[in-house]
Amino acid sequence: MNLRIVDRGAFSWALVQIRPGESFVSESGAMFRASSNIDIDVTTRSKSTGGLLSGVRRMFAGESFFFSTYSCTDREEGEVGLAPTLQGQIASIPCDGVAGWVCAGGSYLGSTGGLNIDTEFQGLRGVFSGESLSFLNVTGAGTLLVNAFGSIEEVNVTDELTVDTGHVVAFQDSLSYTLGKAGGSWIQSFLAGEGLVLKFQGHGKLLVQSHNPDEFGKTLGPLLPERQS
Amino acid sequence: MRYTIDHQPTYSTLEVELGESEELVSEAGAMAWMSDNVVLQTSARGGAIAGLKRTFLTGESFFQNTYRAEGGNGVIGLAPGQSGNIIAHDMDREELLLEKNAYLASTPDIHTDSNFQGLRGLFNEGLFVLTVSGTGTLFFNGYGDVERIDVDGSYVIDNGHAVAWEPSLQYSLTKARRIRSFLFSDQVLMRFEGRGRLWVQSRNPRSLADWVYPFRRVESKGGDDG
Repeated sequence: MNLRIVDRGAFSWALVQIRPGESFVSESGAMFRASSNIDIDVTTRSKSTGGLLSGVRRMFAGESFFFSTYSCTDREEGEVGLAPTLQGQIASIPCDGVAGWVCAGGSYLGSTGGLNIDTEFQGLRGVFSGESLSFLNVTGAGTLLVNAFGSIEEVNVTDELTVDTGHVVAFQDSLSYTLGKAGGSWIQSFLAGEGLVLKFQGHGKLLVQSHNPDEFGKTLGPLLPERQS
Repeated sequence: MRYTIDHQPTYSTLEVELGESEELVSEAGAMAWMSDNVVLQTSARGGAIAGLKRTFLTGESFFQNTYRAEGGNGVIGLAPGQSGNIIAHDMDREELLLEKNAYLASTPDIHTDSNFQGLRGLFNEGLFVLTVSGTGTLFFNGYGDVERIDVDGSYVIDNGHAVAWEPSLQYSLTKARRIRSFLFSDQVLMRFEGRGRLWVQSRNPRSLADWVYPFRRVESKGGDDG
């Protein structure tokens, strides 16, 4: 398998070359181009994770309910192009099978077939913030592709760091984290317009994105006609 | 005529330098700046029928604007409605099929016609294409980066990502195979067969619109306070 991130700034995309016998998984809508020998198997689950129930959990996690699995139908190599919805960069994360990663639900783009993707439902929406929180637990050996809204920055956490949840892309599970509020009290946080934050502790890598998709949505949404429900 | 495409691929704009009495045809609304000796002549090019077909079948503007430099060289700058790449495509008595929003501008000996895609269009919202033919330079644009694929055999594209293709390519609509759940929202794919060039865009405007949808306010029942 060969993964190439086509770095086109705000409009980056990824090209995955798949050899016979290999498979690649993506968020179900992400495939925008494929060679004709690629089989697209849409399932409610990725490789070894749960059944319908975990699919339902994923739906609550705000991520699309379905994963697409790609493989070759013949003995030729095939290719799949993946495009995120929002503008921004793509990063590939090598997973060594020892340390796992936690990926924000909206940041998952795809992963090589050997990785296990599982959801860890992070409770209901933040009471004041309206932000939904979801994380995918990624374990096993392979490569994980994440997309960001804006640009991606890698941060090495060596002690403690507080990051707004809307800016978290992915982090190593060697980091422990607690969900909290930015200000001293909930009211203060609410008035400051700062929602939920993640307080990281320990040692590990963290990828952050320059822009917060929720804030973008909240800018556009009220400009559009009301929806029915 | 000379042209430059700046700020590729994210915020591409097209600037065209017209010689005395040279003309450029553009999609209505695309002009961003021009020198004061460039004169605008709006007309339904190809006559009212062609214009109406353009409007109703493709959602493209009824009017295409013709810009003409008078009394010396002139400059006109064009900016597409969506951010993304612009492709300049030279044509010599050829045809090209364009997704309905992709047309930006062309030299005067290039003609556009709307092409109803028959029943296939019903499956596929907005799959009306413009047939562009003639000799000269055509400028088209996409949402995101626009990349060329040289098809020899067959290739599959999500219908929201096809921008332009040569008529030597035949296409059919298919759905993702082996769908295991009735809950699956269909992804419609275009399967191109033959030999020819195909251009795709790296973002899908419909996906963005779907993404924004949940952020809309919910209509309040019986109230007018929104």
